Amino acid sequence: MPDLDISELKKKWLLPESWSVVLGDYIIDLAWSPGASQLAVVTVEGSIFLINDQGDSAQFQRIGEHAGGANSVCWRSDGAEFVTTGHDGLAKVWDGNSAQKLCSLKAGDSWVSKAVYSPCRNVFATAAGKHLKLWNEQYEVFYESASHSSTIADIGWNPNGSAVAAAAYNGVTLHVPGKQRQPRKYSWKGSSLVLAWSPDSKYIATGEQDSTVHFWHVKTGEDAQMWGFPTKVQELSWDTSGRWLATGGGASVCLWDCSGKGPEGRKPRVYDAHTNKLTQVAFQPDGKLLASTDNDGFLFLWDPLKHANVVSANLLSSTASCLRWCNGGKFAVGQQNGEVASFNIRSAFKHINL
Amino acid sequence: MSFENNTVPVTVLTGFLGSGKTTLLNRILSENHGKRIAVIENEFGEIGVDNDLVIGAEEEIFEMNNGCICCTVRGDLIRILGNLMKRRDKFDHIMIETTGMADPGPVAQTFFMDDEMREALRLDGVVTLVDAKHVLLHIEDSDEVKEQIAFADVILLNKIDLVSSTELDHLEARIHSMNSAAKIYRTRDAAVKMDRVLNLGGFDLDRALEVDPKFMEPEYPFEWSGLFEFQKDDYRLVLQPGPDPAMNLNFRLASEASESAMRDTVEKAVLVFSDEEVALQTGATIEPGEQLSQINLEGDQLEYILPVPAAGSYVLFTEHHPDEFKAFVTDSQGNRIESLFNREYKPDHEHDEEVTSVGINTPGDLNPEKFQDWLRELLANQGPDIFRMKGVLSFHGDEERFVFQGVHMLFDGRRDRPWHVGERSNSLIFIGRNLDRKALNAGFNACLI
Repeated sequence: MPDLDISELKKKWLLPESWSVVLGDYIIDLAWSPGASQLAVVTVEGSIFLINDQGDSAQFQRIGEHAGGANSVCWRSDGAEFVTTGHDGLAKVWDGNSAQKLCSLKAGDSWVSKAVYSPCRNVFATAAGKHLKLWNEQYEVFYESASHSSTIADIGWNPNGSAVAAAAYNGVTLHVPGKQRQPRKYSWKGSSLVLAWSPDSKYIATGEQDSTVHFWHVKTGEDAQMWGFPTKVQELSWDTSGRWLATGGGASVCLWDCSGKGPEGRKPRVYDAHTNKLTQVAFQPDGKLLASTDNDGFLFLWDPLKHANVVSANLLSSTASCLRWCNGGKFAVGQQNGEVASFNIRSAFKHINL
Repeated sequence: MSFENNTVPVTVLTGFLGSGKTTLLNRILSENHGKRIAVIENEFGEIGVDNDLVIGAEEEIFEMNNGCICCTVRGDLIRILGNLMKRRDKFDHIMIETTGMADPGPVAQTFFMDDEMREALRLDGVVTLVDAKHVLLHIEDSDEVKEQIAFADVILLNKIDLVSSTELDHLEARIHSMNSAAKIYRTRDAAVKMDRVLNLGGFDLDRALEVDPKFMEPEYPFEWSGLFEFQKDDYRLVLQPGPDPAMNLNFRLASEASESAMRDTVEKAVLVFSDEEVALQTGATIEPGEQLSQINLEGDQLEYILPVPAAGSYVLFTEHHPDEFKAFVTDSQGNRIESLFNREYKPDHEHDEEVTSVGINTPGDLNPEKFQDWLRELLANQGPDIFRMKGVLSFHGDEERFVFQGVHMLFDGRRDRPWHVGERSNSLIFIGRNLDRKALNAGFNACLI
């Protein structure tokens, strides 16, 4: 356990919980509605919940399930719908207001790992096994990739919603529906686990099985590789400016400077306070704070561009399995023990000189 | 808090299609052992396993960018097992059934290379089913069969009702020469006691050497040795024709007339027996030393000369038992000389196997730096060919045993417990392809102080 004085932390630096609810089993993914009033949550066992955020309390209802287990959840940018995926080969679309199921879509044979809405249009992408599909507003497939050479580990839309990148063993594939004969390959002999577009669309960063981080310059196809992580890297988060990429892959949060010629040859800024492996690293989408969690259940808040100290902290009831910010300084943490907790940095402002 | 350290044991089941993997799996699942078992089946699984949780997997091998085969892992298993470990109801045991064509290396390495797998799971053992009736059809030209045998902690020689006991003895001896660290059980319909296939601790350092003592008693390239007290004279080895047309032997000096002095020469003789032999015809002279002599055994009166330059104790190692050739030793006057001590050895069933085991069993203390350098270089050069290794080492100046085990280039070792009085010794085994017994022994011995 970290060598921290919890009582001291509590007095001075505690980031108080706005509310928390216990949903029963491992929270595998959660997503804020665009208006940040609702939180859709899916669990490893397959339950789908909708949580109504009432500021200092919350109400939840179980709205459905994926037989065999759930994998992901994502809201449409207008908040009218959200999509969940699971082990049943399905992507299920839900009404964001009534919580009624709108349709079940056959996205694959068994394991549908992810569905992601375009950031600006009412279309979404699904990844199931080696197949990527894009669905329109009428829930019809309007684009389907040829089989990838291996199972797709992660997918992500570029910030303007015109292209989808898929990460798999042997690198990243970029799909621009209707604008290319063949998807563009960013080949790399390694296994990419997660990907993150920089907010300026300049880079795609990937976290790798072989304990490295890869940067692809989207236009030129040039790449750079960052070494020295103690474990495989599954935590990536860009700051709003697109200059800094935060990474996990061990107990240290690292910030890579991607300005100018990119991160190659530069040393990262390193933030040490966690004494166990990081599980989540996430930049605030409308600010400069960064939240990180570790395997001991610690939640730390940083102001990393100013200094290397923890600005606020809390000890969760178990390890965080997902952490999602929304605008307005609020974020939710889903945990391995089935608890979902919400935090607001405003409640910590009175202690912190930001 | 739910931060537990308990790891879940994983058993890997390998074997060709039709060798009985599914039968064994069904036995394990239906046995009343009170365990909750999850099964991961490959895509060509032989259907028909009844269990709450059977998950299909499609083999997906991830190579790392350095191109080293020792760093390959199974991406599909990382995904599936990762999800399984998040479930509310934890499993007591996980069985992974591989395809008949699967390479066990990446499966085993997954549990050492991936940090999440290493934290939550432990590889308990590799169990390989061998179809006694059909294995000989593909053992020669199938790398998969050889690798599955080489990686195994336990080998079930199945379908024994379909072959004769002579064939079985032959097959078992052959498999043992490939992997002498594995336990071999003969089964019908894969019927075996559960504690012989589950909770093996095959990759557990605490149990690294809790193996058959046979493994520490290697097979020898000779069947007999005798120690003689000789004067300065020309002695004769007299033989009759026997079952073999020729036989290898080594004639060498011992330090004194004792059983332990003869024992001290055994390792050296083993090395000599891996040399090129020098073919000799009847009447030839066999000088004491490091020569491997191949004596011709065809003809009526066979006699070889053993010149003794100075009085002392000498040992004769013969490939076959002397009785098979009615062999005896005389002095130059024709007086029969009996050995003071003799010993019979478990014969080595030579098959010139590509996959073999090399056991090293040597007293003495190791220089830690020299040993590390030697092992590092060995694994760097031959890591892909060394499937498994394990052993106990005696490091100079260290009061505790050092135990280790490894898969390809992955090495795991630590201090164990203090040595008991008179116990200090080094015992290790390598199982792999194209292993050079002599070079391994010489390399290891050069690390001794």
